Amino acid sequence: MGGTVATRTPGAALEAQQLGKKYGRKPVLENITLAVQPGEVYALAGPNGSGKTTLIRLLTGLAFPTSGVVRMLGQDIYNGGHLARRALGAVVEAPAAFYPHLTGRQNLEMAAFLTGLANAEARIREVLARLELLAVADQPVRTYSLGQRQRLGLASAILHEPQILILDEPTSGLDPQGISKVHEILSELAWKGVAVLLSTHHLREVSAYADRVGILGGGRLLEEVRLDTKGETYRLRVDDPPRAAAFLKTVPGVQNVSLRGVNVIFEGSPNVALAALVREGYQVQFLEPDYFDLYDYYRERVKNA
Amino acid sequence: MLRMLVWEFGKLVRLRSVQIGLLAALVLPILWAFAPGLRAQYGLELVSGWQVPALSLFTGMDFLFPFLTAMAAAEVLGAEVSMGTLKSVLLRPSPRSCLLGAKIIVVLTYPFILLTTSLVGSLLAGLPFGLGSFFGGTGLGPGSFAGVGQLTPSGALMELLRAHALAGLVLWPLSALAKLYAVVFLSTTSAALAAVSTLLLMRLLVAFPAIQPFLLTSYLDLYIRPDSLGLSLLIIYTAGFALLALLIFERKDI
Repeated sequence: MGGTVATRTPGAALEAQQLGKKYGRKPVLENITLAVQPGEVYALAGPNGSGKTTLIRLLTGLAFPTSGVVRMLGQDIYNGGHLARRALGAVVEAPAAFYPHLTGRQNLEMAAFLTGLANAEARIREVLARLELLAVADQPVRTYSLGQRQRLGLASAILHEPQILILDEPTSGLDPQGISKVHEILSELAWKGVAVLLSTHHLREVSAYADRVGILGGGRLLEEVRLDTKGETYRLRVDDPPRAAAFLKTVPGVQNVSLRGVNVIFEGSPNVALAALVREGYQVQFLEPDYFDLYDYYRERVKNA
Repeated sequence: MLRMLVWEFGKLVRLRSVQIGLLAALVLPILWAFAPGLRAQYGLELVSGWQVPALSLFTGMDFLFPFLTAMAAAEVLGAEVSMGTLKSVLLRPSPRSCLLGAKIIVVLTYPFILLTTSLVGSLLAGLPFGLGSFFGGTGLGPGSFAGVGQLTPSGALMELLRAHALAGLVLWPLSALAKLYAVVFLSTTSAALAAVSTLLLMRLLVAFPAIQPFLLTSYLDLYIRPDSLGLSLLIIYTAGFALLALLIFERKDI
């Protein structure tokens, strides 16, 4: 492992600093630095082979980095820090793996035992109910559907009420109802102060509640997109968009004017922009908020990486 | 730790290789006791049921028991890898050494379970020949099958228990070696194959007299000719392989 990284992110529940992993000479991850604060949802996105799963294995302590450090609640997880994993709930495979001959309830009992959870019976019933698994709780896991196993995985991860939750593709194999349920639970946990890090391909769904998205490509963290700081952006359609865009750039109270296809995109006051265009005799067909499309942004970012 | 051990033993008996192994250990003596070619093979006419266990032990220790032991030791970890449950277990806040330590204890116990099953099967198969006092030997004590006079049931049982206990110790280094390979390869097949290949290779190395005293294979028949040097060496090998497995597993990427 490389040299110790002294700098810490204040208050971070989970942080990775200058994390790198090589298999032989081939680097799989390079210089990944990220931090997840309590109550924050951090989504990892990236094409297949970009290093998401390797990063999750490093973050959970299942694999060891060639360089860098991971801290959970300030504690280095690689050097005598197995107790730091008390704060961790994780699902690192899709579907989540369980002992197939045991029932869902027995698997959770085993997880509770390994975590040192006392009086687990009530909590197990609670998480089974939360994930809508009570009806199948006493059936062997080998009879579970893919979606049921995936939900049992989440139940196991949140069983001991962790402060950090790391999930690899938590909605993989779930039907739309199951996906909504998982997103609802993750939002709720984040609201309660749990730091959530998940890898996903479902960017549009996750952008509804994620605070930040880390875009991985070629083993590097290409960019972190902070979803809650995107400014108020609008788009409008108008006759002669290039001329209208050029005009709007001169209007006080309207900023960052650009063209996207036949639409004019701008930030600032929509009333000011609309009044100015009408005053100049432009035919405005519509004007509406331009929601940030994470998926489009991601595609663009990965393509240009 | 105790509950972890109970949990690991519970998983052990569910392993396919263990179930097949125990069945084989139980059935083998029955086949041998009534095999028509027995006399030709060993020049032996069974005079007592107490002689059946030795036949099973000779035959089993030749290849079957080492093979079954290596398979089980490899599968104890390999099955968890293939099911994906190893990751789930390692995500919990227990030291890796605790988990592997429990597995090592379990795989070191397995040879005794296997040999006890073989002994029980042998004694059951020996019932038709009688389990009373007899003139002769068990094949595992002084005078081999010819014996040194009359042997009482308790004397015969003691000889058998001692020989089977020693045979269990003989299988220990192989269990530990298979476990070490399982940690390195994280695969049942590769680990079992590597352990058995190592054993076969060591058998070939008898051609080098200088290293022969240090080979595991030089002591595979320790159960009929106890030797304190050999016993110490087997225990050192076992401890070495187990410690190496623990050391590697501590920093192993899963």
